[in-house]
Amino acid sequence: MSGAVDDTPVLRVEDLSVEFRVRGAWWPAVRGLSFDVARNETLALVGESGCGKSITALSVMGLVPRPQGRVGSGRILFEGRDVAAMREAELERLRGDRMAMIFQEPMTSLNPVLSVGFQVSEALRVHRAIDAAAADAEALRLLEEVKIPSARRRFADYPHQFSGGMRQRVMIAMAIALKPALLLADEPTTALDVTIQAQVLGLLADLKSAQGMSMLFITHNLGVVAAIADRVAVMYAGEIVEIAPVARIFSGPVHPYTEALFRAIPRIDREEQSLDAIGGQVPPIDRMPPGCRFAPRCPARRPSCEASSQALVEVAPGHSVRCGVRAPAGARAA
Amino acid sequence: MIWYVAKRLLAAMPTLVAVLTVVFVIVRIIPGDPALTVLGDQATPQALAALREKLGIDKPLLAQYFDFITAALTGDLGRSLVSGRPVIQEVVAVLPHTLDLTISSLVLGTALGVPLGVWAALRRNRLADYVIRIVSLVGLSFPVFVSGIFLLMVFSLHYRLFPVIGTSNLADLGDRTWKLVLPTITLGLVMVAYITRVTRSAMLQVLSEDYVRTARAKGVPARLVIRRHALRNALIPVVTVVGLYLGINIGNSVLTEIVFNRPGLGKVIVTALNQRDYAMLQGLMVIYCFLIVVTNLLTDLAYGLIDPRVKQA
Ligand SMILES: Nc1ncnc2c1ncn2[C@@H]1O[C@H](COP(=O)(O)OP(=O)(O)OP(=O)(O)O)[C@@H](O)[C@H]1O
Ligand SMILES: [Mg+2]
Repeated sequence: MSGAVDDTPVLRVEDLSVEFRVRGAWWPAVRGLSFDVARNETLALVGESGCGKSITALSVMGLVPRPQGRVGSGRILFEGRDVAAMREAELERLRGDRMAMIFQEPMTSLNPVLSVGFQVSEALRVHRAIDAAAADAEALRLLEEVKIPSARRRFADYPHQFSGGMRQRVMIAMAIALKPALLLADEPTTALDVTIQAQVLGLLADLKSAQGMSMLFITHNLGVVAAIADRVAVMYAGEIVEIAPVARIFSGPVHPYTEALFRAIPRIDREEQSLDAIGGQVPPIDRMPPGCRFAPRCPARRPSCEASSQALVEVAPGHSVRCGVRAPAGARAA
Repeated sequence: MIWYVAKRLLAAMPTLVAVLTVVFVIVRIIPGDPALTVLGDQATPQALAALREKLGIDKPLLAQYFDFITAALTGDLGRSLVSGRPVIQEVVAVLPHTLDLTISSLVLGTALGVPLGVWAALRRNRLADYVIRIVSLVGLSFPVFVSGIFLLMVFSLHYRLFPVIGTSNLADLGDRTWKLVLPTITLGLVMVAYITRVTRSAMLQVLSEDYVRTARAKGVPARLVIRRHALRNALIPVVTVVGLYLGINIGNSVLTEIVFNRPGLGKVIVTALNQRDYAMLQGLMVIYCFLIVVTNLLTDLAYGLIDPRVKQA
């Protein structure tokens, strides 16, 4: 052994497919998904609504909604252990402690009958042998850290007394309570105004540098991507179509979908997700085209695109693209 | 809390006056002369006039209405035409028996219904769920006079474990409990069936809520997720619906009291009906409405204890 820092990724997803039952049959909402998140790395997951970003994060947490959904195949290795094969009791030990998630829905994700302070302290109570007073003190510190105004006075308040932005910050406080090794952040700053958003992103960056935390960061906001990501994975219709270091994604996108998505100038104060340049919609999961899933909407489409599905091809070190036209298989393997 | 109760009581006043008005109108709409109905057509005009005066129905309608409302609001619901005793007295004498039965069957219904409902929800579409659903449906549609008589025949007549006659000595707690067992089971099983079904559907709803997923994401153990995060929220609709059901369930309590020959409001009503005791019936209607208003208030209070959003409003 070299004795150097452990360089196995915190998260390694291998050939993952997550399926949902639609009219009596199972259809993949996510398929053939493979990616790594290294220690101390932030991978941004971007793509249009419905492309499978949240489902990807939920499957890492072992929280794919049942019975209508399931992990069909593949492995999800968290710190080397397969989450998809774990028993619930084992998962419970990891969740909220080693890995945590900030959910997309701030309005409905807090329990209406429990006080905000208790909900923030709950993970501490569950995972650490500390008394209630110590848990409360730590929860209060966390609420102050996410800039809840007069946190002490509002500690015993209930979620309905909080605004959407404040609830989102409460969720962030909950998720970072135990300094997880991996944070799955599903559009964590959408309900926040620009100033608070910058503060929260700063807080997450601090956690990353101080604790070596890794993040899977889902967002629509390309400004946020530019500000926080090390690498970017672009998803379309349940598949990764391009994955690359953040600078390359902005300077030299290869996939026509990425091009369309990133044509907008990244700005932190603007929600950019308009794909006006390319019309049409993501097809529903039970009516996917047989070949390239983006082909029906693609400006660079060729007849061959619709015939067979495309492979993810590495066009440069750390940069892979799923496009038979722009990155034909065997053209360049690094 | 006290402020909340006071506010709720005040808010109930218009309801109560409205109810009194309806009762007043109903009694006046009934065709025929109450005095004539009571005394029969052989009665002398003098006797009829005397009774009319006693009942207060010789005055103008508006004056009658005013008298009725003020008397009722000060707790005077008139006197029974048969016994001559105040309606309130007759009711207060039997009320403990009715409350005993209502409360004990509610306790039984909650103690069994809530866990069964939770269990069925957790075992959704599996054997336990199907069995619980079918049994509770049967329990709901089974008339209490059938189950009551069945219990009487088996446990009182055949095995002689419980008394046949339900009149108990209120001061003797042992006797009082003893005679409560079979009636409680009869009425309680309906409550169990009902509460099971309501709890099951409320739990199913709550288990798919985002905040339950959040709790799981924190690593809260499954048992605690169910108890602390799901059940507490599921109880909100359960309390509401059960509170309403207590009012609707009066018919079943009356039947149960009659089957087990228990004293109580049910028997008082039936007696008054048989004897055409209008004054008594009018008083009883008011009292029943009052009890429903009180039940609703208690429901709202229970609601306020579980749901922090209520106190604000
Ligand atoms: N409960 C469900 N039942 C059936 N299908 C589902 C369910 N949840 C998700 N899906 C399917 O999975 C697909 C991906 O959903 P997901 O929530 O991951 O999208 P997303 O990328 O997070 O979108 P958004 O940006 O709107 O949050 C959806 O298009 C839908 O077809
Ligand atoms: Mg989503």
